[in-house]
Amino acid sequence: MSGEAARRDPVPLRVLDAVTQGLNVVGSGLILLLMVLVGVDVAGRNLAGAPVAGVPELVTLSIVAIVFLQIPAALRAGRLTRSDALLTALGRRLPGLAKALESLFDLAGIAVVGVIVYASWPMFLRAWTRGDFVGAVGSFTAPTWPVKLTLIVGAGVLILQFAARIWRRHA
Amino acid sequence: MTPFDIGLVALLVMGLLVLAGLHVPIALMVCSFVGVWLMRDNAELAARLLGLAANDAIGSYFFGVVPLFVLMGFIVSEAGFGRDAFDVAAAMFRRLKGGLGVGTVGANAIFAAITGISIASAAVFTKIAVPQMRRHGYTPRFAVGVVAGSSVLGMMIPPSLLLILFGILAEQSIGDLFIAGIGPGLLLAVFFSFGIVAMAILAPASIGNVDTQGGAGLSGRDYLAKGGPIAGLILLVLGGIYTGLFTPVEAGAMGAIGALALGFAMRRLSLAALWRVLVETGLVTATVCFLIIAAQMYSRMLALSGVPAGMGSFAAEAQLGFWGLMLIYCAVVIVLGMILDSSSIMLILVPLMLPVITPMDIDLVWFGIVTVLAVEIGLLTPPFGISVYVIKATLDDPSITLGDIFAGAAPFALMMLVVLGLVLAFPWIATGLIP
Repeated sequence: MSGEAARRDPVPLRVLDAVTQGLNVVGSGLILLLMVLVGVDVAGRNLAGAPVAGVPELVTLSIVAIVFLQIPAALRAGRLTRSDALLTALGRRLPGLAKALESLFDLAGIAVVGVIVYASWPMFLRAWTRGDFVGAVGSFTAPTWPVKLTLIVGAGVLILQFAARIWRRHA
Repeated sequence: MTPFDIGLVALLVMGLLVLAGLHVPIALMVCSFVGVWLMRDNAELAARLLGLAANDAIGSYFFGVVPLFVLMGFIVSEAGFGRDAFDVAAAMFRRLKGGLGVGTVGANAIFAAITGISIASAAVFTKIAVPQMRRHGYTPRFAVGVVAGSSVLGMMIPPSLLLILFGILAEQSIGDLFIAGIGPGLLLAVFFSFGIVAMAILAPASIGNVDTQGGAGLSGRDYLAKGGPIAGLILLVLGGIYTGLFTPVEAGAMGAIGALALGFAMRRLSLAALWRVLVETGLVTATVCFLIIAAQMYSRMLALSGVPAGMGSFAAEAQLGFWGLMLIYCAVVIVLGMILDSSSIMLILVPLMLPVITPMDIDLVWFGIVTVLAVEIGLLTPPFGISVYVIKATLDDPSITLGDIFAGAAPFALMMLVVLGLVLAFPWIATGLIP
């Protein structure tokens, strides 16, 4: 995300990039928290003779959140796994066709991540209304809806980043 | 079309889409969605499969620690422990012909014991070892080749992210996989070292006009100052695992905490550097885990189609035998390695292969080591050798082309092929240490 390119972007794209970076910051913070949690668990088990309640549950929950918080930034930074040898070669001969194909691919991304959001929404609603939680009552519990909401927000921003790629390409 | 046919077509279409340049996770998701939709004639069900996989596929403690292994690798690099390892190893081997090359291999082997990802090794040693080697007269092509070749040690010598991934996919003990990685990892390092010395003696032109003084030695105190912190970290990570203080899964967090504490105590880390490393860790984690989610959707779709079971009975009827099967498998992995990254290959192939090899009574831990070795050969082969791209990006020197790096890495890819053959022929190289 070079500052030069960002400054020339229209306002909506700059807002989108700012949001993407915000999610990225939260996700990075969560990774640090994860490290501390596992450390505390190991220390508690070996020094105090008792594991810290809820650490495995929290680790399990937060990884899903971390991934969906960071994936829009990964796409923006061009880090999403792909093999672009053929596209690059095509771009040299037929730049128009390569551009069209790239945009078609981005549309496929929008469609399939859209399906994920569509299917995840009822899961979030159920977790929210029923108050689903992980852990055991009496020792440690954590609600599952925040993670499901994070997934939907992250996937939503990912869709917008796919759209932004099309916008930048054809603007 | 029967579900089986749809599964086969989905496999083919997925391959074509990936080759054409669609993002790999998106290609996997599209094929899973359309595949299930056609098989069950129910789009709602297909959508639910995608949604469930997105929500649950990585929701386990094993995946939770993936970012911590990545973080450990990056902190260790950022704190300059890679340079220490290189200084120590280069001083130790400075009297050998091609000593700096051997030193780079040695440093990578040491470094591999405190990181679990090849790209961390590739990036660190491109910055440290390549300029040093060039200053002493090695050709750029040889210098980058050594770095590319020895970076694969990061994935073989425990802890290793790829071995964790395999352990999750095949439901094998990660501790056993780590132990099994030691033998082949050390064997690779030995082969690389002898290969470099042989090249220096038999074909000196290929490594360059090297000055005989391989750099200054280190005093005993220097060895201690540079080697001590690394030795401490290795002791913490591997010692902790094998004494049972913590599990292999927790080793990433403990290594990251240890490196962080050392880095701050030795004033080698700043808060700004820590933040940069955290963001980078996040990007790598997200990329790998998103791929895992997509691969889970794909393997659930395949399971519905019955293709993996069909391949199992096909392989049984074809009477390929153990060797035929393993050779074909390794060839496919290496070819895939030319167009895909390591985790994608494992995630796509391992679920397909498990039903084939389980009835053959093959040791799955050994199979994991073979898989990782074959996958890592692909890291060095064009057109998609991820290690090579990392080196190119880190070098930022237009006079060294991608072609140079691939050519320099080729002898190391060949040596890996030999080691792969040895591990295939003598499984005890991998499994011998497991109690």
